[in-house]
Amino acid sequence: MSETVFREEEFNKRLDPRLWWRILQFARPYRPLVGGLMTIALLVGLTESLYNLLVKRVIDGLVEFGPDAPLFSYALQYAAITITLVVCVFIFIRFAGKLSAFISHDIRRAGFARLQELSFSFYDHRPVGWLMARMTSDCERLSSVLAWGLLDLTWGTAFMSAIAVILFYLNWKLALIVFTVVPVLAWISLHFQRVILRSSRLVRKINSRLTGSFNEGISAVRTTKTLVREEGSLREFASLAGEMRRASIRNAVQSALYFPLVITIGSAGAGLAIWFGGRDVLAGVISLGTLVAFVSYSRDFFMPVQELARLFTNLQMAQASAERIIGLVDTEPEIRDSAEVRTSIARAGAQPPVAGRAIDGLPDRIETIEFRGVSFAYNVRKPMGADDASAGEREVIKVHPVLDDFNFQVQAGQTIALVGPTGGGKSTIISLLCRFYEPTAGEILINGIDYRRRSLHWLQSNLGIVLQSPHLFSGTIRENIAYGRLEASDEEIVRAAQLVNAHEFIMAMPGGYGAQVGEGGVNLSTGQKQLISFARAILADPQVFVMDEATSSIDTETERLIQAGIERVLSNRTSFVIAHRLSTIRRADCILVIEKGRIAEQGTHEQLLAARGHYHDLYTHQFTREAEEQVLADPLLA
Amino acid sequence: MSATSPTVYRSLWFWMRGHRLRYGAAVLALLLSVYFSFQVPLVIADVIDAIFREGAADREPSRFVKLLLRVVGSDGLRRHLWLPGLLMVGLMLVAGGFSYLRGLWIAQASESIIRAMRERIYDHLQHLPVAFHAAADTGDLVQRSTSDVETVRNFLGGQVTELGRGIIMLIVLIPIMLTINWVMTLYALSLTPLIILASLFFFSRIKAAFKEQDEAEAAMTTVLQENLTGIRVVRAFARQEHEIAKFQGKNAAYRDLQYRVVCLMAWYWPSSDLMCLAQTGFVLVVGARFVQHDALSVGQLFFYMACLGMLLWGPLRNMGRVLVDMGKAQVAIGRIEEILREPRESGPARPMALPTEMRGEIEFDRVSFAYQDGQPVLHEVSFRVEPGQTFAILGPTGSGKSTLVSLLLRFHDPAAGAIRIDGVDIGQAERKAVRARIGVVLQEPFLYSKTLRDNIRFGHSEAPRERIEAAAIAACVHDNILDFEKGYETEIGERGVTLSGGQRQRVALARAIVKDPPILILDDALSAVDTHTERLILRALADRHGRKTTILIAHRLSTLMHADRILVLDHGRVIQTGSHAELVNQEGLYRRLWSIQTSLQQDLAGDPPAPAAEARAALAQAEAPTHV
Repeated sequence: MSETVFREEEFNKRLDPRLWWRILQFARPYRPLVGGLMTIALLVGLTESLYNLLVKRVIDGLVEFGPDAPLFSYALQYAAITITLVVCVFIFIRFAGKLSAFISHDIRRAGFARLQELSFSFYDHRPVGWLMARMTSDCERLSSVLAWGLLDLTWGTAFMSAIAVILFYLNWKLALIVFTVVPVLAWISLHFQRVILRSSRLVRKINSRLTGSFNEGISAVRTTKTLVREEGSLREFASLAGEMRRASIRNAVQSALYFPLVITIGSAGAGLAIWFGGRDVLAGVISLGTLVAFVSYSRDFFMPVQELARLFTNLQMAQASAERIIGLVDTEPEIRDSAEVRTSIARAGAQPPVAGRAIDGLPDRIETIEFRGVSFAYNVRKPMGADDASAGEREVIKVHPVLDDFNFQVQAGQTIALVGPTGGGKSTIISLLCRFYEPTAGEILINGIDYRRRSLHWLQSNLGIVLQSPHLFSGTIRENIAYGRLEASDEEIVRAAQLVNAHEFIMAMPGGYGAQVGEGGVNLSTGQKQLISFARAILADPQVFVMDEATSSIDTETERLIQAGIERVLSNRTSFVIAHRLSTIRRADCILVIEKGRIAEQGTHEQLLAARGHYHDLYTHQFTREAEEQVLADPLLA
Repeated sequence: MSATSPTVYRSLWFWMRGHRLRYGAAVLALLLSVYFSFQVPLVIADVIDAIFREGAADREPSRFVKLLLRVVGSDGLRRHLWLPGLLMVGLMLVAGGFSYLRGLWIAQASESIIRAMRERIYDHLQHLPVAFHAAADTGDLVQRSTSDVETVRNFLGGQVTELGRGIIMLIVLIPIMLTINWVMTLYALSLTPLIILASLFFFSRIKAAFKEQDEAEAAMTTVLQENLTGIRVVRAFARQEHEIAKFQGKNAAYRDLQYRVVCLMAWYWPSSDLMCLAQTGFVLVVGARFVQHDALSVGQLFFYMACLGMLLWGPLRNMGRVLVDMGKAQVAIGRIEEILREPRESGPARPMALPTEMRGEIEFDRVSFAYQDGQPVLHEVSFRVEPGQTFAILGPTGSGKSTLVSLLLRFHDPAAGAIRIDGVDIGQAERKAVRARIGVVLQEPFLYSKTLRDNIRFGHSEAPRERIEAAAIAACVHDNILDFEKGYETEIGERGVTLSGGQRQRVALARAIVKDPPILILDDALSAVDTHTERLILRALADRHGRKTTILIAHRLSTLMHADRILVLDHGRVIQTGSHAELVNQEGLYRRLWSIQTSLQQDLAGDPPAPAAEARAALAQAEAPTHV
């Protein structure tokens, strides 16, 4: 097992007050609620401590007055305490629950908003599952520790203090004697809570490995059968299941040990009360009722002590969650408008809008795009385990250059095809153009101005981007197309769909434009999803079109529709296409063959074919593949 | 709770075999620990009555105090009050000891049962036929194997004890209470049925609210996940505001439903508290009245109060929740048994042995097969592969190529006809014996999340280092592996590196080569490997030591053309067989494919600057709409 698995188990880590102060800021808007909660918890603690006092009064009354003891008055007092308590419990559950739900909601809101701003370099080494866990389980854990912890802290302290005050008031010497068990109780509770929490975490970890093992066992079933590895796999699984059994038993045994111990210590307190208090009763120093109260109270200690110990351990455990969440919420996005750009946006915004001007006051129309001496390297970080605490501060271990002194200029209306082997740098060029990343050296100029001096929002809302794997959001087809322009009318949506040949298949679906695409678009085929993503891009009517053509094989009919769709989208529009289809490549105004971060060849289809270089090889290979696929897809008609 | 419950309990009883004694011992320990823990308040009660209220109540002290009195006498006891204190601690320790034993035994028994259950499910899943796995949903199977098992675990380890503790407490306590004062006992327990019923009612009702809350959370998580996976689309259209609004809607809805559940809880807990407190208050006041009439001593009143506290705030108040949760265990065990009832892959009663030294001859004899009735995939397919041949199968998608492989591996059995290896009908042999003699690489091979070395070694578990590396070299993946920081020790999968499609295919090939099987099958296994590397691999396979039969399935002609024999399959029928030279001279699919390649090469070799006219024409034909 790798080292990262245990990283979260750091218990010796001190509580970091600054971090918790930052977390407490999320409770700020709910100050009245927090105040109310603490008051109520205080009240509950105090009220609860009165019960044993009442029992004392009843016993003393019975001893003293016999048949004349005022039972009715006791009953009334009992009822009064009970009603206060019950009403308080009702209120505090609501308060704490509300605080917990609302704080986790607020943290998620802040986290989500920040995720929308963060640069792609942030996402590169953080798997979606990791981010999801921060936004769900970490938020939940943190807010519940915060709300219920606050409650337990106040209640426990109030209850303990009330007991202490009552006991010292009744007889301070006896109180001192009985109280000697409290430190022992606290120490044992703290120790066991830690041990139990640690082992239950281990159980959870092994459990998630068991789940992974089942998952792999099921997905690999064919491979396992062909390798005749059933026994080997079972052996490995059995050792994991055995590990799980051991860890679970250890966890259960720890609990089985803890509770008897705590209760025994409680009865030791009662024993001390009988021993020393009994003498006092016999000597007539204290009443029988007082003795009974001491006995009962000493058995009550363990509840608040246990809760406080648990709270303290929980806080330590939750610190890792807190660090990760605050790490997320407080991360500054690397790519955002500079102060200068923000000023010009503000200045332009103050004046009436001028036709042909963008929000930053500069010309809206994109005439030229130029890459000048652009180099780029991704920061390679260590791969992340699911349990890593603070991913943000991980050191960059090596830098891997992807683009090296790339120079190129595009005029409005041109189509540029990028071809070349995987990993050559094609996607990087597109990511840089979209300003998902910024060049590490050199500059990208739009109309001769470095795009870092333009508004990010302006640039990105003038780009239409179609990615290799078309991502759809769950919802209707109409909603997905309208994502390109939210205010588009139904007619415009239909026109966009018609333009890319998507209208027919949409109308053939039950529900037409209102049909649900399902989560991630599962109800549609890959080709259909591509058509929708074209319609979405065309609806946005972008000045610059950027596309990463899919390589996955699609049925002939859809393939034909897609090719025609692409043609219409690209015509008379500045476009950058990572091209795989011959039809797209041949139609481009300029083809760039990208290899190892540089332009290996550049020119039109005819020029490059004549040069008999890299392009010639790529072309023949691609040609053969497409033609063979065509024949095999439909052998009788070819 | 449902009609199936008797069988459910019977099957649980079945799973408990081998651990029943331990469960019995745990029940005994539970009984003893409850008995001793009730002795403590009894001691206090006796001390109160015998020492401090001497003469006020005339009654027999409890067993342990009587013992103490016999030894030191009541005066001695009065002088040595530490004695009853020590007795209390002692009794509690004994009770605690038994409680510990109970916890230990229950944990050992239930965890062992669960471990056996997990292993049984895992083993069973591995031995279920491929047809079952093809139809089943992986997520559902995983859920049954994990969360359903977890539910049963909670039942066996937690709920059973919790329920048993409540029942045993009542069983132990009621006789003690009754011997003290039976009228008082009736008063003391009058509200308990109501408390149990109320929690039963509440927890079965609140399920709906919990479900809604979970659904709202799932909806929110979906939006979050779609946003994160589609973050490039969001940025591409600069839709951040829209996304935030969308998430906020779900986020707020989840928050509100979460709060609603809390509000329901806020009704339940205080009302349950109220009932418990009312019960205690009742005992206090009625008991005091009994004391006034000398029907009860002060010590006994204390005893009633203390015992009621232990009973009410402990197991009784949770009993409703436990009972509701037990319903879940019934459903869970039912779902687990459903998997276990599925029949495993069958084998012949008296399997025929395959020769240990195989020649690698394969014969398909009029084999027909259909996955579903009425939709045949193979029609009377017959062909023969000679030992040592490289045999290629070509055909359009859906022509039945991969089905041939599935039948050969005995993933499925033919509906008619027979498949023979070295003359033995594989239908008469053990499935595992057949598979052990075949190495196969699939188009999207599965690699285990282990090191690269382990993955390759899976082909042959005792393979030495040199043999693993030799296989990796033959599969042209050795250099790629050495490029990784940790080389062969690199972990792949979630915790390690992600391999490209071509790398995966080559690692899987190395795995099959290590196995050194008499028959090697490459089912479109080099589709993601570039042409140059593919050529190297095929040459290495042809030169492999003691080379035996190789079956190649591919879409690319360049992969197949050097095979000894090529079979062309279409719509489940053999339409052509022969060598490359023979097939090129026959009218048919093979020649059409061949002509594309040759015509292109001729055209490009011609006058370069002019567009390669014929190639263009061929391409135009390929691109032309084929369905009208």
